[in-house]
Amino acid sequence: MAARTLNRVIAIATVAGLAPAAAFAQTSSSTAGAGTEDLMAGDEWDAFDDMESDAGATDSGSDDPFGGAFGSETRVDIHGFLEAAAATRVVDDDRSADDFLLGESRGRLEVGVERPKAKGRLKVDFIGDALLERVDIDLREAWADFTLGTAFSLRAGRQVLTWGTGDFVFLNDLFPKDFQAFFIGRDDEFLKAPSDSLKLSFFLEGVGLDVVYNPLFAPDRFITGERLSFFFFPGGDRAGPSSDATPLDAQTPQADVENGEWHARLYGTVAGWELAAYGYVGFFKQPLAFDPMDGTLLYPRLSVYGGSVRGLVFGGVFNVEGAFYHSWDDEDGTDPFVPNSQARALVGYELEVLPKLTIGTQYYLEAILNHGDQIENSPLPQFEPEELRHVVTLRVTYMALSDNLTLSLFGFVSPSEEDAYIRPKVSYKITEAVQATLGGNILLGQDIFTFFGQLENNTNVYSRLRFTF
Amino acid sequence: MNAWIFAATLAAASPSAQELVDKASQAQYYAADDGRALVRMMIVDGQGRKMRRQFVVLRRDVKDGGQQRFLVRFEQPADVRNTVFMVHKKPGSDDDRWLYLPALDLVKRIAASDERTSFVGSHLFYEDISGRGPGEDTHTLKEETDEHWIIESKPKSPNDVEFAKYEVHLRKQDYLPETIEYFDRKGEPIRRIEAARIEVVKGHPTITRMKVSDLRSGGYTLAAFGEVTFDLGVPDDVFVERSLRNPPAKWLRAR
Repeated sequence: MAARTLNRVIAIATVAGLAPAAAFAQTSSSTAGAGTEDLMAGDEWDAFDDMESDAGATDSGSDDPFGGAFGSETRVDIHGFLEAAAATRVVDDDRSADDFLLGESRGRLEVGVERPKAKGRLKVDFIGDALLERVDIDLREAWADFTLGTAFSLRAGRQVLTWGTGDFVFLNDLFPKDFQAFFIGRDDEFLKAPSDSLKLSFFLEGVGLDVVYNPLFAPDRFITGERLSFFFFPGGDRAGPSSDATPLDAQTPQADVENGEWHARLYGTVAGWELAAYGYVGFFKQPLAFDPMDGTLLYPRLSVYGGSVRGLVFGGVFNVEGAFYHSWDDEDGTDPFVPNSQARALVGYELEVLPKLTIGTQYYLEAILNHGDQIENSPLPQFEPEELRHVVTLRVTYMALSDNLTLSLFGFVSPSEEDAYIRPKVSYKITEAVQATLGGNILLGQDIFTFFGQLENNTNVYSRLRFTF
Repeated sequence: MNAWIFAATLAAASPSAQELVDKASQAQYYAADDGRALVRMMIVDGQGRKMRRQFVVLRRDVKDGGQQRFLVRFEQPADVRNTVFMVHKKPGSDDDRWLYLPALDLVKRIAASDERTSFVGSHLFYEDISGRGPGEDTHTLKEETDEHWIIESKPKSPNDVEFAKYEVHLRKQDYLPETIEYFDRKGEPIRRIEAARIEVVKGHPTITRMKVSDLRSGGYTLAAFGEVTFDLGVPDDVFVERSLRNPPAKWLRAR
């Protein structure tokens, strides 16, 4: 405060031609060095300076509690949020006794440590789940990152990983997803589940290579019937929380050196076009194989090879991605209990049509190879998916009121499966720290066994209130 | 004959409006070969509600007056902490932009946006951060005082912008704009940018505090550029995808 007032005096003195006095004043000013010239003064700048001193109190960067211990090179940040969330079905579901899909309070603690050549992060969620009547701890991130030279870095520990060009559509991203979280109204970030990984990154002459190794296979957090009702293929019927049988009893691959997962991506940019090649060796991320002898579900072996291109066309983002899914345990497609190999393709375009209004659309194709053999050998051919699955997506996002209000809509429509999934959402920042979100998950389908159609009776609305610190 | 000589001398003495605007663009947006600042903003809307933003911005000029690279790492508010924004600015064509969302580890390519829309919800436009192309308007030197050139600029593509003209009070001593005022078609002032503090940093006169006012809503944003430094020697390969996922502390830490 005093320094600013002093600056004003200097400015006035300078204007008044009292340069020597100003020069004297400057030597006694701590913030304003020689050559500082204040052109404006007013109450608003007082408020600004007050805000800055507030920021200093919460910004652990400048108020580093461990600064003394590790020296000024280390920066520690502590943040998090408290959130209450609830979701309820708005349609009847004969497989569920309870309309509630979600009722939880979540507290997050995030600690970040940063040094010039190393950093680490711990992100842990504490969840009080009123629906399942239990307390959970979800360790989202716990990793350390080391930079060696300019070309090499290593990140080890629990981390969330994403790559590929799709928007809520994944071809070459075989990192674990949490589809349950996606359908019951949790924040978008929970669609990605963490994995315990070792990530090596090389970058040289504009070309990058990432190699991720998961010693333990990390499956998706898929729908088990705990909250959502779904179509249970081996049973040939819908199953849910109040079904008699506990449907999903999947046998994860044994913790063995041979059963680790490898993910790789080679990437670079040429004239604004991002090019990438991907590879994966591991298992299908969901237990899509069935052992008819003992009734268990298995994760069949899978390799994926693919590529993507992304760049600007007429001011919009254009992307193309393709992937080949090689199902090792059913290469000729004749085993009805193991998924066939697939070819997947995606093309997308996103454009800001008006200021703050963005529209994006994607076309996605999934082709089952040797589909005839699958149908021929299937005990339940009527429930087998079609050879080609077409999906069109639409995203509309509009921001208003100084970006404090966000209206968004994301829709998936599959003309081949005759099903759809629509996600409308409104979020509003009531204050800088408090955000309210209201949304819905609308699921529609002609048949009970298609990708979105099986979830039809889970159509829900949700609300969340989050306080961030 | 005398009149001719006089006119020629005057022409030589006072630079053209276009030359002045080119120099102003250089002084404000292309100082040194690279630079870094810790930017703090206070956004006050028409109802007096205050919001805060804080980020570190790192800039590198590929060519003076031409292509530039920007890396922006957000620190405040807490819900956008560690979000990273990267821009490859290409005057004359669409900029390449990326956004990194750390919770999802997602690198999102961003569609080219209207340069005259709000940057992070503030009253500053993208263009106020990265500069408006000096060739996008027709500039006229309206008046010259002892300390200022007063330049009026009219857009060459009036349908692409929200203003009909703007007037700059350009300081003679350092080519920095002291005020910029935007007018609508009726000649009413609609928007104002004022330099609130100018400091000489490593020999470069720099606007370190500014106020941007929306004269119609009554809202305004105060922005302070702290810990400004120049000529860090940041290499071009810092402005790549790797830095979005793993922001280099060496270049992005203002403290």
